[in-house]
Amino acid sequence: MFDKWQKKERLDEEWEKRFFYGNLLLFIILGILWIRLFYLQVVKHSYYLNKAKMRSIVSYVIKAPRGEIITADGVVVATNRASFQLYLDLENLRDEEEILKKLSLILKEDYGSLKERFYLAKKVSYGRVLLKRNLTWDEVARIMVRQYYLPGVIVEVEAERFYPYGEAYFHLLGYVGRINKEEYENLKNWGYSPEDFIGKKGIERLYERYLKGVNGRLEIERDAYGRLGKVVGRTSPIPGEDIVLTVRHDLQMKAYELLKDKRGTVVALSPKDGALLALVSMPSIDPNKFIIGFEEGEWSNIINDPKRPLLNRAIQAYPPGSTFKIITALAGLEAGIVKGPNWSVYCPGYFPFGSHIFRCWERKGHGTVGLKKAIAQSCDVYFYIIGAKIEIDFLANVARRFGLGSLTGINFPDEKEGLIPDRSWKQKRFKLPWYPGETVNISIGQGYLLVTPLQMARAYMALANGGYLYKIYALKGIHSKKGKILYQEKLSLERKIEVNENFYQWVLDGLKSVVEDGTGKAARVPGITVWGKTGTAQVVSLRKKTKLMEHHAWFVSFAGNSTPEIVSAVLVEHGGSGGAVAAPIAGELYRTYYKLPPALPKSEVKEEIIEEVPEIEGLNNSENQNYGENSTF
Amino acid sequence: MEKTARFKEFLRENFLAFFCFCVLILINFVNQLSMGESSGYIWKNFLWHAIGFLLFMIILIIFDYRKISLGLIWIAYFLMVLLLFILAIFKKRWLVLGPLSVQPSEFLKIILLYLISLYISKKRELKLENSEALFLLGVIVLPLLFLMPVDLDYAFIIGFMFFIFLLFFGFPKRLLIVLTLVGILLFIIITPLMWNKLKPHQKGRIYGYLDPEKYYKTWGYQLSQSLIAIGSGGIKGQGFKKGWSTRLNYLPAKNTDLAFSVFAEAFGLLGVTLFFTLYGYLLYWSLMVSKKAKDLLGKALSLGVFLILLVQALFNIGGATGLLPMTSIPQPFLSYGGSITISTYLLLSILFNIAFRRVFFK
Repeated sequence: MFDKWQKKERLDEEWEKRFFYGNLLLFIILGILWIRLFYLQVVKHSYYLNKAKMRSIVSYVIKAPRGEIITADGVVVATNRASFQLYLDLENLRDEEEILKKLSLILKEDYGSLKERFYLAKKVSYGRVLLKRNLTWDEVARIMVRQYYLPGVIVEVEAERFYPYGEAYFHLLGYVGRINKEEYENLKNWGYSPEDFIGKKGIERLYERYLKGVNGRLEIERDAYGRLGKVVGRTSPIPGEDIVLTVRHDLQMKAYELLKDKRGTVVALSPKDGALLALVSMPSIDPNKFIIGFEEGEWSNIINDPKRPLLNRAIQAYPPGSTFKIITALAGLEAGIVKGPNWSVYCPGYFPFGSHIFRCWERKGHGTVGLKKAIAQSCDVYFYIIGAKIEIDFLANVARRFGLGSLTGINFPDEKEGLIPDRSWKQKRFKLPWYPGETVNISIGQGYLLVTPLQMARAYMALANGGYLYKIYALKGIHSKKGKILYQEKLSLERKIEVNENFYQWVLDGLKSVVEDGTGKAARVPGITVWGKTGTAQVVSLRKKTKLMEHHAWFVSFAGNSTPEIVSAVLVEHGGSGGAVAAPIAGELYRTYYKLPPALPKSEVKEEIIEEVPEIEGLNNSENQNYGENSTF
Repeated sequence: MEKTARFKEFLRENFLAFFCFCVLILINFVNQLSMGESSGYIWKNFLWHAIGFLLFMIILIIFDYRKISLGLIWIAYFLMVLLLFILAIFKKRWLVLGPLSVQPSEFLKIILLYLISLYISKKRELKLENSEALFLLGVIVLPLLFLMPVDLDYAFIIGFMFFIFLLFFGFPKRLLIVLTLVGILLFIIITPLMWNKLKPHQKGRIYGYLDPEKYYKTWGYQLSQSLIAIGSGGIKGQGFKKGWSTRLNYLPAKNTDLAFSVFAEAFGLLGVTLFFTLYGYLLYWSLMVSKKAKDLLGKALSLGVFLILLVQALFNIGGATGLLPMTSIPQPFLSYGGSITISTYLLLSILFNIAFRRVFFK
C-alpha cells in the first residue's frame, strides 16, 4: 500500500502536523473540561454542597418547652401541655386536593371547610402548614396507620402554652402568639423558627429570653421521591427557665373576682420593697385563645369592643381626683402654707377665686376644717385654698418626687407616663401662660393631671414606708428546671423622698381617719389598720351625665397591723364614687391578705357625692376631659 | 527481528496504554457499583464487559485491520442506513432483538470510521478535491438524516466528530469557508423556523442549559442536579456509595448519561483528575499509534478512534458540567450500556490491532 506514496517519509512528515493538531485538540478540550470541574468542585464547592444538603436533608424544629410562671405562693399560672398537631409539609405534598380529601374522611370533617382552612393557613405560614391542633388519640391513630398513603402529612407532639387561670392573669402575664414575619426577621439569628410562639405582652414578653429555651433540631434525609430516610442529626431542645413572680395568687384571684363585670383595675404592692402583689385589669380575655385560636369574628369583636379588653388599665393614665389631695397637702405643708395639723380654714361649701366660684362637693360646707378633717372628708375648699396660694411648679415638683408622671419600673412596654402639668409644659403644649385658677383645679386632682393606678399605688407606698420610692418589680427570681436559682431580683430604690417626719405623720393621721370615720369607711377591716383616700375623678360635666359617663371611682390605700404591709390602688372606670365602689374592693383585698373572712353584705355607707368642678377661665372643661379620655384609651 | 524481541517491543510501547485501559474498566465497575443499583444490573454490566473483552482479544490477535475490503464496508454501510431508515419509520431509537436492545448509532460510528479511512487510504495525497469532500460529507449525512428524527443529539454529535475527522485530510479551504458561511446562514434562517418544530423536551434542554436554576424543577432539573452532584463532590469526593445525589436518587439517568456526575460526586476532583489522566493518556497513545502506523489506513483509523473518544467525552462531560447543552450520549468507561461498552471495546481493539500489526508484520 505504501507504494502509492513515493516515500513513506513524506507521509510521516505530513502526518506530523496532524499529530500536533490532534494533541492540541486533546489538551485544549480536556483542559477546558478540567478547569470547569475545578471551578465546580473547588471554587463553588460550598455553594453546591449547601444546595445538596438543603435539597436532601429535611430539618424539623423540636420546640423547646417554655419555662413555667409560678406565683410567690407556689401556684403555676402558666404552664405547658402536650398536644398533637397536624401539619402539612408543602414540599412533600404531591397532590393537595387528594390529601385533603383523604384527611376530611379520616378527621370526619367537611372537605370544603378543611380546604378553606388549609388555604387560609397556607397564606400566613411559611414552611409547614398547621392544619389542625389538639388531635384526639383516635384521630392520631387513624392518621398514623395510613401514614404511608399520606405523604406530606405530619403528626407531631408539641408542648403548648396553657394558662390555667385564664382571664385573671391576662394583663399581668400577657400571652404568647405565633411569631410574625417581622419578629421572625429580627429574631431568626437567636434560634427562633417560623413556627415558634413568642411572648407578646406582659411578663411573657418581658422575660421572653429566659422563658423561651433553645429549640432542638431533627435532621432527616429525604430522597428524590420525598421519602424520609435515616436521621442524620439530632439536637435536643433545652427547656426554658421557670420564672417566679412576686405576685400572690390568692390576692390576684380575689382582685379578679372583685372586679368581674366591672371596668377597672386593682394593683397591690408591698411597701417593703415595691414588689407587685397583684395586678388585675378588667375586662380581660382568656390568653389561651391566642393559642387555640379565636372563633370566627371573635377577634374583630375584641378589637372593636368599646370596653377595650386588650388595655392594661393599671398602667393607663387617668385623672387622679381626690387621691391627689395628699400630694397637695404635703406640698402645702412644705411650702409653709399649711402651718400645722391644727391650721384650719372655714368651708362654706364654695371658694370664690377671681371672678369664679369653685364648689366643694359638700354643698352645705364642712365648717371649720383642719388637715385631718380635710383629708377624712375630702374637703375641696381646704385644698382650693392651698392651690390658690401654691406655685404650680412647686406642686408639680412634689408630685414628681412621689413618682407621678414617670414610669414605675415595671417595664411593661405599654405603660403610660401620665402627666404632671406645669408652666413650661403648658407653654409648650398650648403656647399659653399658666392661669392661677388652673392650680386650684389641679390641687384637687383635676385639670390636666393624669396618673396611672400603678403610679398612684407607688406614691402611697412611699407614704406608707416613710419615703422610700422603690421601683416596682414583679419578678422574684428565675429558676432553672433543675431548681437552681439563676437570678434573683434585688430591690431597687429609686429615691428616698425627704419629707419632714411630722408631715408624714399628720397626713397618715388624715388617711387613717378617712377609713375610720371619713369617706372610705367601706374599706374598714376589723383588727387591721387601713389608711386610704377615696377619689372620684370627673370624666364629663354633670349636665351630660349618663350611666356610661359616670365618674371614675378611686381608692388608694395601705393596710397593716402596726406598720403598713400592703398598698393597693383600686380604680373602677365610670363606677361612681370612690367611697362606695372602690373602697369596699380594697377592704375585701385586705381581708384576703390577712386571711380574714369576707365582709357581711354591704354595710350602709354614706356615699361621697361627686366633687364638682365648675368651668374656669381659659379652660374648656369638656375639652379638658376629652384630653383625659383620649389618653386613657 | 526475533518474535520474542518484537513482542517485547510491542509490550514496551503499549503496556502503559493497556494498563490505563484496564484501570478504566475497573473504574467503570466501581462507578456502576457505587450507584447502589440491584445486583442484576451489576452482573449485566459485567457480562457486557466480558463479551467486549473477549471480542477485543479475538480481534487483537486474529484480525488484521488491513484485510477488510471497501466493498464489505459499503455493504455494512447500506445495511446500517436501511436499518436506521426502518427504525426512523417506527420512530424507534433502539433495535430490540428479544431481550437485547441495541443502539445502532454506536455501531454507525465504527462503520463510518472504517468507510472514510478506507476511502482516504486509497488516495495518493492528503488532499481532498471539492467533489470528494462533498461526497464524503454526503456519506456522513445520509445515515444521520434517518437518525435525526429519533436521536437528534447523537446525529449532531456524530456529524460533528466526522466533520472534524475530514478536516484532518486536507479538506478544501474554499469549500470549508463556503460551507461555514452556508451553515451560519442556514442556522440564522432555520433556527426561527425550526424552533417551533422542536419537541418540548428539546426546547426544554435549551432553556435548562441557559438557566438551570430558574428551571430547577422542570427543564433545568437534570443539569441542576448534575451540577449539585459534581459541585458537592469537592476535592476528595463524598466517597464510594455515599453521594447524596446518587444515593437518594436525585440524579436522573445516573447509569448512563450522568454517570460522570456520579463519579465526580463520589470521588471528587481527585477522582476526576485520575480519570482524565487515564483517558487522556489513552487518547494521547492513540495519536502515537496513528503517528507510528506505517500505512495511511492505520493512521486514519487510529486518528478517527481518537476523535470519536474525544468528542464523546467533550459532549458528555461538557453537558454534565453545564458547558454545553445536555445531550443524552453515554461516556465511554463510565456509562452503563451494552452498545456503548461493546463499541468502545471494538474501537480500542482496532487501535491495539494497528499497534500490534506494526510490530509483527513489518
